[in-house]
Amino acid sequence: MREKFKVQCSMFNVLVSIFLLFTIHYSLFTLYGCSSQKEKVYRKNTILMDTLVTITVVSNSKDSAEKAIDSAFFEIEKLEKLFNFFSSDSEISLINKNAGIFEVSVSPDTLDIIDKALYISEKTEGAFDATIGAVITLYDFYKKVKPEDGAIKKNLPLVNYKYVTIDKNKLTVFLKKKGMLIDLGGISKGYAADKAVDTLKRKGIHSGLVSVAGDIRAFGLKPDGMPWKIGIRNPRAKGQKDDILATLELRDMAISTSGDYERYFIHDVKRYHHLINPGTGYPAEGCQSVSVITTEGALTDAFATGIFILGPEKGIKTLEKMGFDGIIVDSQGKVHITSHIRGKVEFKRSS
Amino acid sequence: MNLKGLLNSTTIADRILLFVLILLSLSGIIFIKEVLPKGHTVRIEVNGHLVYLLPIEKDRIVSVKGSVGNTIIEIKDHKVRITESPCDNKLCILQGWIEKGSIVCLPNRVIVIISSQEDELNKRVDAITG
Repeated sequence: MREKFKVQCSMFNVLVSIFLLFTIHYSLFTLYGCSSQKEKVYRKNTILMDTLVTITVVSNSKDSAEKAIDSAFFEIEKLEKLFNFFSSDSEISLINKNAGIFEVSVSPDTLDIIDKALYISEKTEGAFDATIGAVITLYDFYKKVKPEDGAIKKNLPLVNYKYVTIDKNKLTVFLKKKGMLIDLGGISKGYAADKAVDTLKRKGIHSGLVSVAGDIRAFGLKPDGMPWKIGIRNPRAKGQKDDILATLELRDMAISTSGDYERYFIHDVKRYHHLINPGTGYPAEGCQSVSVITTEGALTDAFATGIFILGPEKGIKTLEKMGFDGIIVDSQGKVHITSHIRGKVEFKRSS
Repeated sequence: MNLKGLLNSTTIADRILLFVLILLSLSGIIFIKEVLPKGHTVRIEVNGHLVYLLPIEKDRIVSVKGSVGNTIIEIKDHKVRITESPCDNKLCILQGWIEKGSIVCLPNRVIVIISSQEDELNKRVDAITG
């Protein structure tokens, strides 16, 4: 009798403990389940504008996240068709073909980006110049061919943003001299990042990150409430391509970096990179890399190029004057930084 | 008391409890495996579409069909490289082995990305400029 009671008693205990354990386990599972319904980070990659485009968004639904990202990709694709320097049916090619002949009617986006390019040329005293096309086409960074000095000298007079006239009412663009070539390569990726962010916002996304190669525009916060964290590539990385020089946090800001390591070749121990000084027709000296931070991608993209050409001292001055932030690595590897973001950039210990 | 004696002294209830505890710990292992972040994965995309999602731990060679032809990707010792590509400039092959980041073959529209789990996003950077 007593034995039986003992068994029943421990049976009861066992049932209670099983019940408790299951409850704990179940609540753990449901907690996990709940958190997976919360806002998550969704990311998609594609190749557009001849480069890797990555869009990251925060959303509580995979479906709406992917739809928004696809719309943003579509927007970039649309801009690529308008701005492509190498495609003969782009609006830019149409403007170039009619240089010195006709003014060309363009879509609002094309007028807008050329307007912005001219503004940046003015603010950088011509260091950024979208009419660099006539000289940059002489360089071939794949075949590693340095152009003849005579050819550069001949085409240099065709590089001047002051010979571009736009009519905002009639939506026309005219290049005054025959042979001039507009190349928006130094601004179009940042501009595309801006437009992609606009599209994402229209689709109801309140936080995300668009990166068109190294031109990045961030908005909102991550699901954990933190700003997006951006790494700046080390311009003299050994081996690993993704070696990072410094990191910083971005909230509702854009960042772009221009570096002499992106497209270059070495000829007679001299580095020929794609950041051509519009004043000389030769690659700019003085910097290894320039990162610019401000609210718009079109500005960061083109200013990064312009500041690179201005060099570290004049570059920092120009950035401070514009109220932008920047990090410049000069040709000796020394880092220059605007006063506002000192202390906000986390440098990796130098190796 | 030897093992036999120990077993004999248990009640049915004890045995049930023991069984349930073993069951719970096993389900715990599965649970943890599900929740905790896994290692790095290799994403292979063609034309923006995911073709392969592979663990970096397992050595293997895969071939994907791109816009121009077949690209061959090798995973070995937690590293990834492109060994063959139909493109003209072969920049993707020249990039060699990568442990992090990505290899992009523009002509063949192939992207190889080493990505960590989303939970890990906070620890590293979200994007790289330059």
